[in-house]
Amino acid sequence: MFDKKKYISKSENTDTNISRRTLLLSIGVSGVFALMTSRLAYLQLYRHKDYKSLSDENRITHRLIQPSRGVIFDTQGKAIAKNIESYHASIILEEVADINKALASLNQVLPEKKIDINKTIKKIKKSKKFVPVQIIDNLSWDEFAKLNSNLYQLKGVFPAMGYKRFYPQKESHAHLLGYISDISKEEYKDNPFSKLNNAKSGKIGIEKSLDRELRGRLGSKSIEINAFGREIRELKRIEGEVGQNIQLTIDSDVQNFCFDLLKGLSGSVSVMDINTGNYIALASAPSFDPNKFSDGISSSDWQDLINNKYKPLINKSISSFYPPGSTIKPLVALAALEKGISPNETFSCSGKHEVEDTSLESGIKNFHCWKKDGHGDVNMNEAIKVSCDVYFYHIARRVGIDKIAEVCRRFGLGNEVFDLFYEEQSGIVPDKKWKQATLGKKWLIGETLVSAIGQSYFLSTSSQLTLAFAQIVNGGKKIKPNIIYEDDKKDVKIPTLLAAQSHLKILMKALDDATNESGGTSYRSRILGDKKMAGKTGTSQVRVISEKEREDGIIKNKDLPWNKRDHGLYVGYGPSDKPKYAVSVIVEHGGSGSRSAAPIASKIFKFLFRKKMDIKRSIIINV
Amino acid sequence: MFNSSFSSGNLSYSERLKRINYFIILLILILFSFGLLALYSVADGNFNSWPKNHLYRFLIGLLLIFFLCMVDIKIIFKFAYPIFFLNILVLALIPFIGTETFGATRWIKIAGISLQPSEFVKYTLILALAKYYHNIQDTNINSLSKLFIPTVLILIPTIIVFIQPDLGTALVIAIGSFSIFWVAGLSYRYFITGGILGLLSIPVAWQFLREYQKERVFTFFNPERDPLGNGYHILQSKIALGSGGFFGKGYLDGTQSHLNFLPEMHNDFIFTMFGEEFGFLGSVFLIIIYLIIILLSFRMAITSKSLFSRFLSIGVTFVFSLYVLINISMVMGLIPVVGVPLPFLSYGGSSTLAIMGGFGLLMNCHIHQRTTLEKGDFF
Repeated sequence: MFDKKKYISKSENTDTNISRRTLLLSIGVSGVFALMTSRLAYLQLYRHKDYKSLSDENRITHRLIQPSRGVIFDTQGKAIAKNIESYHASIILEEVADINKALASLNQVLPEKKIDINKTIKKIKKSKKFVPVQIIDNLSWDEFAKLNSNLYQLKGVFPAMGYKRFYPQKESHAHLLGYISDISKEEYKDNPFSKLNNAKSGKIGIEKSLDRELRGRLGSKSIEINAFGREIRELKRIEGEVGQNIQLTIDSDVQNFCFDLLKGLSGSVSVMDINTGNYIALASAPSFDPNKFSDGISSSDWQDLINNKYKPLINKSISSFYPPGSTIKPLVALAALEKGISPNETFSCSGKHEVEDTSLESGIKNFHCWKKDGHGDVNMNEAIKVSCDVYFYHIARRVGIDKIAEVCRRFGLGNEVFDLFYEEQSGIVPDKKWKQATLGKKWLIGETLVSAIGQSYFLSTSSQLTLAFAQIVNGGKKIKPNIIYEDDKKDVKIPTLLAAQSHLKILMKALDDATNESGGTSYRSRILGDKKMAGKTGTSQVRVISEKEREDGIIKNKDLPWNKRDHGLYVGYGPSDKPKYAVSVIVEHGGSGSRSAAPIASKIFKFLFRKKMDIKRSIIINV
Repeated sequence: MFNSSFSSGNLSYSERLKRINYFIILLILILFSFGLLALYSVADGNFNSWPKNHLYRFLIGLLLIFFLCMVDIKIIFKFAYPIFFLNILVLALIPFIGTETFGATRWIKIAGISLQPSEFVKYTLILALAKYYHNIQDTNINSLSKLFIPTVLILIPTIIVFIQPDLGTALVIAIGSFSIFWVAGLSYRYFITGGILGLLSIPVAWQFLREYQKERVFTFFNPERDPLGNGYHILQSKIALGSGGFFGKGYLDGTQSHLNFLPEMHNDFIFTMFGEEFGFLGSVFLIIIYLIIILLSFRMAITSKSLFSRFLSIGVTFVFSLYVLINISMVMGLIPVVGVPLPFLSYGGSSTLAIMGGFGLLMNCHIHQRTTLEKGDFF
């Protein structure tokens, strides 16, 4: 009885004990559930916004869309810089069964393009396995076709097509157009295209100066990607803007003709239509093939270019400056006319001009004429025609350097012709102020004399000389030079006149005689027939000729090393009776202007007189 | 339909069928339907892969529940130890006859079906412990000598599973079995000393952890340690849940899950996917159903007459709670990732069968709540 009671009581005790402990267990479990739920609320409600944006960052990526680069046309509407299809071979790793085998068979199909298998595999392994990796660039059409017909044995290899910049005129337009290549580190900040994988930018010429217009505006698209980076779908797309097409005033036929004339020489030619101010040709030699840069130039080719002493990368028509030599004389003559010197006043040339110089032992410094025995009595017309240095020494002393410099600047020397090219140089027009400011020294009278024959500190580019002459022969109207073709402006301004018509007529007559009258410096290069050219030669020294050498006989150009020879210049216009074109030719270290430059100018004028100039505008308008 | 000739013991089959708690079965069906939906989403709208298999396994599991309901509790009581030892034997044999996956040998192939004996041992251990404490109900269970056998019973499977290695399952086995100690009435002193000993043994246990397990623990305490490695999964899981917000991103529209930012979506991380697509609303609904099942089961447990069935029911329910708590806490970054599936949602054959087997036992106890059991022998 007692035992039983005890048993029951114990059992009851156990019952309540179990119930109590089970209740505690339930409460414990429920408590943890509550904790879990609050954690869930924290994540899903309180932190929802943070996680939402993290989730979007996870899944959305932005890709930029590169617009096609603008095409550059010449004045005839011919594309001179365009985008052509390029072919290459790509590989997608995840679709290849055996990468070694695939590349080996690719080598069999295209033995000319033999690829380094190990290197290529390393490159492929760097990318995600579903991303196409370009393994052979620049396949020819034949190779591309061969690849296509052999695809059955090249699983995972794909023929692909892209675009590259192509310059059909190659060397002849290279400096003018420039080239494009990989965006450099310095450009990263300013060029939005640097965010693109493979984008290129213009490096010199039009490609550089109008890079912003040509490249267009980037588009972008938002893409949903998965955890492995694979693109799932496009969410949003913002279209970019294709690059602007640009038409130049350059006529590729004239440009090619000029460039061909410079073959084997180092120098430049610039040709301008004096009525419009349009440059028709800006040629520079030697040159390079800009297409090499589109493909990625080899380092040996690049070394050759930068080490070449003829400097093929420099656009000599705008970036190289030379002492203008005698081509400056018409402007000095104009300065004299404006100072009241009569064109009929004569000066006697005995071959040299003496100036007092106390620093010298003899007390006298001699300034020589190019003609050792002198020209005798010459007036202005004769002086320009035969290019008498002594005449100009005389008038320069009377006129003064500041007046000469003022006239030269008025006609465009010492200033950049185009407000466009990064590489353009402005040259130097020296005067007293300039010397004090740059050299910190006083101007010497002797320097006025040598400046009057385009030596001393004078430096000009060939495009500047063309501009100066164009403004002399177009009736003195100030020209706004163009290289980018612009439709005729509606509001035609009354032109600014740079000089008196009577003065200009005197100069033109002299220039005409210099070429077309016996005894003129470029008489040998004159053009027979109705349409004639007229112009001034120039021979600019690059070395000092000593008195001793003058007595012993000046060493002939052909006996000097190339870089000591004189530069040969010719600046002219034509037809002489009704001027339309101005041309300047500079042959670096080519010897005398009459022998080296004038014959080239003559050929260019003949070509220009024959050629039918047509301008096609409609083609280039962006569609 | 069922007449008395089919009856066994004191109850007829039809009576047993009648006594089944169909409300819990209904709740289980709801959970399973969510699992099916979630797996269909994981499979990107393909029914034939995971969802189909999950359905088959669930149907087998339902059969198992009904089968266990039909068995007399006396038979279960009688064979409690043999079932446990058979389970231990198979578990011990795994290193020799098992198949290795992902560097762990946990599976055994029987008639072409891969089974994971460690999932079942969680329940068979409960079975054995329930019987043990039922048998010693008249004695002072707080004496140390009485504690020896259950400790050994717990340690054997726990150690075997721990060295497989499967930290998550070992934890569930060990912690799950403590519930029997608790309800059997073991003095609080033991739990306090046990807790202290447990804390002290952490440095020792640490030595036995595999490198990847240590990494997971490190990562848990500092997820930014390795944002693209071990921390990545837990971070992505939190992003998925958090970005789901209140209403979720919509069914089949979870970006984290469908764009493969989540690991093991069909398995341990299925709650994450569910939470991303159905939001806080759906997740809380799911959690509440789990909680209702657990609380109902506890209530059912204490209505049983025999200690064996009470202990068994409570143990089974507690193990079930552990699954849910560990899994959900893990994907929310509350505890380290240990690899415990979420009942009825995760795609796992053995765990589904074991869990449903557990519910079979629970129902069996419920059906036989008035049956008294004598103290039994080993057989």
